[in-house]
Amino acid sequence: MTREIISTGNELAAIAAVDAGCKFFGGYPLTPSSEVMHTISDLLPKIDGTCIQMEDEIGAICAVIGAGMAGVRTMTGTSGPGMSLKAENLGLAQMAEVPLVCVNVMRGGPSTGLPTRVSQGDILQSKNPSHGDYKSITLCAGSLSECYTEVVRAFNIADRFMQPVIVLLDETIGHMHGKAMIPTKEEVKAGIVPRKTFDGPSEEYFPYECGPTEPAVLNPMFEGYRYHFTGLHHDRKGFPTEEIETCRKLIQRLEDKVEAHKDEIESYEEFMMDDAEVMIVAYGSVSLAAKESIRHLRADGIKAGLFRPITIWPSPAERMKEHADKIEKVLVVELNIGQFHSEVQRATSRLDIDGLFKVNGRAISPHEIVTKVKEL
Amino acid sequence: MYQIEKPDNVPVWVNTDNCKACDICVSVCPSGVLGMRYESSSTLGAMISIDHPEACIGCNECELTCPDFAIYVAEKSEYKFAKLTDDAKERQAAIVANNYMSLDQQGVK
Amino acid sequence: MAFNYDKYLRLEKMPTLWCWGCGDGVILKAFIRAIVKMGWSQDDVCVVSGIGCSGRFSSYVDFNTIHTTHGRTVAYATGVKLAFPDKHVICVAGDGDALAIGGNHTIHACRRNIDITFIVINNFIYGLTNSQTSPTTPKGMWTVTQKIGNIDPTFDGCDLAIASGASFVARESMLEPKKLEKIFVKAFEHKGFAYLDILSNCHINLGRKNKMVSAMANLEWIDSITISKKKYDAMSKEEQLNLFPTGVLHHDDEADEYCDMNREIQKAHQGLRSKITQDDFAKKI
Repeated sequence: MTREIISTGNELAAIAAVDAGCKFFGGYPLTPSSEVMHTISDLLPKIDGTCIQMEDEIGAICAVIGAGMAGVRTMTGTSGPGMSLKAENLGLAQMAEVPLVCVNVMRGGPSTGLPTRVSQGDILQSKNPSHGDYKSITLCAGSLSECYTEVVRAFNIADRFMQPVIVLLDETIGHMHGKAMIPTKEEVKAGIVPRKTFDGPSEEYFPYECGPTEPAVLNPMFEGYRYHFTGLHHDRKGFPTEEIETCRKLIQRLEDKVEAHKDEIESYEEFMMDDAEVMIVAYGSVSLAAKESIRHLRADGIKAGLFRPITIWPSPAERMKEHADKIEKVLVVELNIGQFHSEVQRATSRLDIDGLFKVNGRAISPHEIVTKVKEL
Repeated sequence: MYQIEKPDNVPVWVNTDNCKACDICVSVCPSGVLGMRYESSSTLGAMISIDHPEACIGCNECELTCPDFAIYVAEKSEYKFAKLTDDAKERQAAIVANNYMSLDQQGVK
Repeated sequence: MAFNYDKYLRLEKMPTLWCWGCGDGVILKAFIRAIVKMGWSQDDVCVVSGIGCSGRFSSYVDFNTIHTTHGRTVAYATGVKLAFPDKHVICVAGDGDALAIGGNHTIHACRRNIDITFIVINNFIYGLTNSQTSPTTPKGMWTVTQKIGNIDPTFDGCDLAIASGASFVARESMLEPKKLEKIFVKAFEHKGFAYLDILSNCHINLGRKNKMVSAMANLEWIDSITISKKKYDAMSKEEQLNLFPTGVLHHDDEADEYCDMNREIQKAHQGLRSKITQDDFAKKI
């Protein structure tokens, strides 16, 4: 069942959060993501939720992590400069295994960059926003509908893996206004998988004692299961420790809990790939131009297809390799200087992957892609 | 873990496992009950000692100011505490002047 | 039978990592006694701490506890409190935490007057990291980053909190545990943001090169710079110059509390009241 809604990408992200059970949003105004907060500030109070504009980006992520620790579904919205400021505390959320959703509407960088213009320059940042070892989960919406569906999915993934999930929009998608077909609220509600909880006796509760590839089981606060959150290396009860094996196992588990279950996270779209002789890899708003270019190329007799990763991290590496083993010409098109291109090279073990990159704050046109493919 | 149960016939008692020998309890005692003794096995080379339990007035200051849960005072209902005397005050002044060491302990800590 | 702290402590974490004679332990005990006085269930309390020696506070007490990043204590606490407004949220931070790296969060939490108790353990130095200058280090004192004397002006956290809008501001030192316990109780009872500047010692890192090598020497110095608010108020400006007043410095029970106001926002959005206008507030600007 689907419903039709006319809206923008940023608004759809906010609506999706509320439908997915989000009860708390902490934010700070940041172009081009501000409309996420504008929208959710009207929606959350209606369902006894809270939207707070914090004093800065750091305060925003901290309040969101605090609410997440307390046990509610939480989200924040920002753009590149805000991601840079949030980085340290995203690291704490990785370490303490606090689920949250962070929507990053990408604008031109580095630094203040091009605040009102499009970019996809935060791909590598979203892989490792904070220092240390952990495995980031990053989803990337490629259409208005996905601004909704990927945010919903992000909430469920966050609760499944007990860690932050970054949803990348870019300025073009975020500000695009149009019709979107999205699932009904009932369908979304039925699909909500809340975080696991422990319901045995409290003295037998060890939140961080779990299998080597499983996330922590963190009960909500104030329900009789008292434990400790920390950004330090910690033991099964959450208390700081420097015990060698405990430290090693903890960090290895942060990596392995995602790596071992990446089939649950990975998603991608294949467009006209069945007979493709040229594989275009593109994501986000660029994939819209890529699809258009493929229609033109096909009309000109060039069998091009699109591989669009929806999960950026962990990347759908095996599937990309399967295609790249069969297709000679592979072109990565993105609004940065090869950030995902290097991942495609790694995944496919090929150094002859072509790239079409643009970093002037303007979208890539289908014509540019057609021209580039014809040069290959 | 702590010795909150009062041993027999004492107004004040200590858990020397917890004591870090910071002198604070000795300094706040108004009645010259406490003092530090040289103790080579302690980190700071000293350990708390209860020299004059009979003078304890039960003010509880030592317990409240101990940062390490090492010293305990009986409840007023459990023990008949002494009254503060001039002798006790003088002894306390001498202990402070002796760098918080018990009066029979010589030299500088 | 002495007072039983065991129920409120994580005994397996004892003894504390704090140095001998550290005021943090005295504050910890007064804190527990105050919680007992309040009669709060351990399950209903969340204790949030930051980074530094004070950061360990949260791991020693058996409540719902969070050890956050440096300076962000009160921002995390804001999230917890807004998610569960009827629970008790208490922050413990150091002077560097609250007034340097987290200064902005402190200011704005005061401004919102959210119902959180903010205990700032002020030992005038960065202790855990070995004697760097803190925002409260007195001028002229030795620090490892200003070895020939600190020239950075000092911060009065209470003045900042009052100016920022906190509705309960008080100062005590760890020298007087009974007063400390009372001030904690008052702060816990207060509905609104309570800022507590609790002076403490660090003879190890503040004292070692500032002629206060023992806990007692450091405590005597704290004693020499504190005076009750009543006496302080009766003094001339010149006499007040190098003294900190102790006791309740500011108390306003009328100020709007943030969670209450947030509830009004929810009601307005749910059609349970008219939208919020300037007429809802006695003090608008």
